Amino acid sequence: MALAPVLAIVLSLFIGRYPVSLSTIGQVILTKLHLINYPVAAVNTVLIWDIRLPRAILGAMVGGCLAISGAAFQGLFRNPLVSSGILGVSSGAGFGAALAIILFHGNTSATYLFAFAFALLAVFLSYMIGQVYNTTPTIMLVLGGVIVSSVFSSLISFTKYVADPYQELPGIVFWLMGSLASANYRDVLVAGVPMLIGVVGLMGIKWRINVLSMGDKEAHTLGVNLKLDKGIVILSATLATAGAVCVSGIIGWVGLIIPHICRMLVGNDNRVLIPASMALGACFLVLVDDVGRVITGSEIPLGILTALIGAPFFVWLLKKTRGGGW
Amino acid sequence: MCLLEVIDACFTYPQQKERIFSDIDFKVGRGEVFCLLGPNGCGKTTLLDCILGIHRLDQGSIRVAGEDAKDFRPGEMARHVAYVPQRHDNSFPYTVIDMVKMGRTVYTGRFSSPSDLDKEKAKEALNIVGMMHLRHRPFTQLSGGEAQLVMIARALAQETRLIILDEPTAHLDFKHEMLVMETIVRLVKETGLSVLMATHFPNHTFYFENQDMPVTVALMHDNTFLESGRPTEVLTEANVGRIYRVKSRLAEFEMETGGILRQLIPLSTLRTEDNMDE
Repeated sequence: MALAPVLAIVLSLFIGRYPVSLSTIGQVILTKLHLINYPVAAVNTVLIWDIRLPRAILGAMVGGCLAISGAAFQGLFRNPLVSSGILGVSSGAGFGAALAIILFHGNTSATYLFAFAFALLAVFLSYMIGQVYNTTPTIMLVLGGVIVSSVFSSLISFTKYVADPYQELPGIVFWLMGSLASANYRDVLVAGVPMLIGVVGLMGIKWRINVLSMGDKEAHTLGVNLKLDKGIVILSATLATAGAVCVSGIIGWVGLIIPHICRMLVGNDNRVLIPASMALGACFLVLVDDVGRVITGSEIPLGILTALIGAPFFVWLLKKTRGGGW
Repeated sequence: MCLLEVIDACFTYPQQKERIFSDIDFKVGRGEVFCLLGPNGCGKTTLLDCILGIHRLDQGSIRVAGEDAKDFRPGEMARHVAYVPQRHDNSFPYTVIDMVKMGRTVYTGRFSSPSDLDKEKAKEALNIVGMMHLRHRPFTQLSGGEAQLVMIARALAQETRLIILDEPTAHLDFKHEMLVMETIVRLVKETGLSVLMATHFPNHTFYFENQDMPVTVALMHDNTFLESGRPTEVLTEANVGRIYRVKSRLAEFEMETGGILRQLIPLSTLRTEDNMDE
């Protein structure tokens, strides 16, 4: 399972408008790792090492994080129709990015920072709204998420309305459609920190997500510290998603459907589902991004393609597994 | 020894005026069955929720194994008391064995999964309730009776000395109702487990008594206990008329094996103006 995303990353090194051979890829990578010293053409080094590889790695990280958070939230909220954006993380990040594009004229670092900060802020607000009498009933959290998401969606529309239509508006629109086009190793490292923390948290607490999905009352009587365990799941999923969204923009579908596909393939036990979702999400986004790179002369934004490619696959799987017990 | 002691318990939902119950006092000892009986909406489930630590009492206290439950850390209650819900709301189709393993949560670290020992305990519990053969089936596909027995297995896997059951036979057919009752009797007799059970059926308490179990029944009426004691003393035709507004006859049969079997047979509902002590 862990091998699949690696294969997808390797595969995507070959895919592109500029053809490269297996030996070229091997030479570039081994040279870069200082294992051999082979005089490779600079264009090949730039293409493989500086463009395709970081992009594929980032794609795998983003896809994995969106899917793992979606799976965790589905368990926590006891609902397979919940996605990683349920608590407003995407709309918060979208507003943060739009704000930074207007205020700092698209400075990349500022955009990342604002997107990340507003993503966290949105989830924090949802959590505070969902808090009743010192507890956070699941249904109130969902409601909090809906409220916060719609407020930030309105704010995104407002930023679009006031943005300069030639300079800033295209930037906002493209950001909201999601893309990995500008991926580099700095993105991988910077966004990798919250993503890693989030993923480690979710992988650690995966069995407790099963217990939490029994509902608040039963989980309590089974000995779960509801506040703490829910808090860990929410915080981990939020860090993973916010880290992903701040570098990739808003990519829908992955955080909803990949966990669902995994439910059909491996069942509902989160001990298997959580890692499986991460692996499949990583593969899926890397491959979709490959398609987006080559299908037309100019790139198609990821947010558009994920659903266009994922939907037929999902329907096919739905027919084949008859819904996997749903 | 006294496993559970409820002292002068009163409860009101936050920001509501109406008392749900008040002045509730009772004890459950080792190997005892305590039945809560009362009409719909009398506060049985709320009382159980307070004992389980889901709600906090306004007044009074709940002592579990000699300690005040207020001082328990989150999750500590689960070491003393297990709970079988009236009906489990299905979430995801987990397998039966995974459902039972969740009873081991309290012995499993936050960041770890159930061990082989936990799996053995879960299997043991499934064996006790006779549901071992269904262990790989999705829980969501079980019948109501099978599901209830699996929930009892989950409570057993928790290895507590007291199990609280909230109307465990509410949705079951004739046979499965009997099966659940038999299982409870067997557990109490064989393992010395204590049971606190809310029920809608007065005859359940007679069933326990007929089986020679130490059983106490409390009648909950008008937000408090009207009476409590042995079923034969408490479940009189007059009391049943008063709390349920149902006219009934207490039937007694002599068994061939010796002993007397008691059952309440409902005859008709009473109108408000009827004298209940007729």
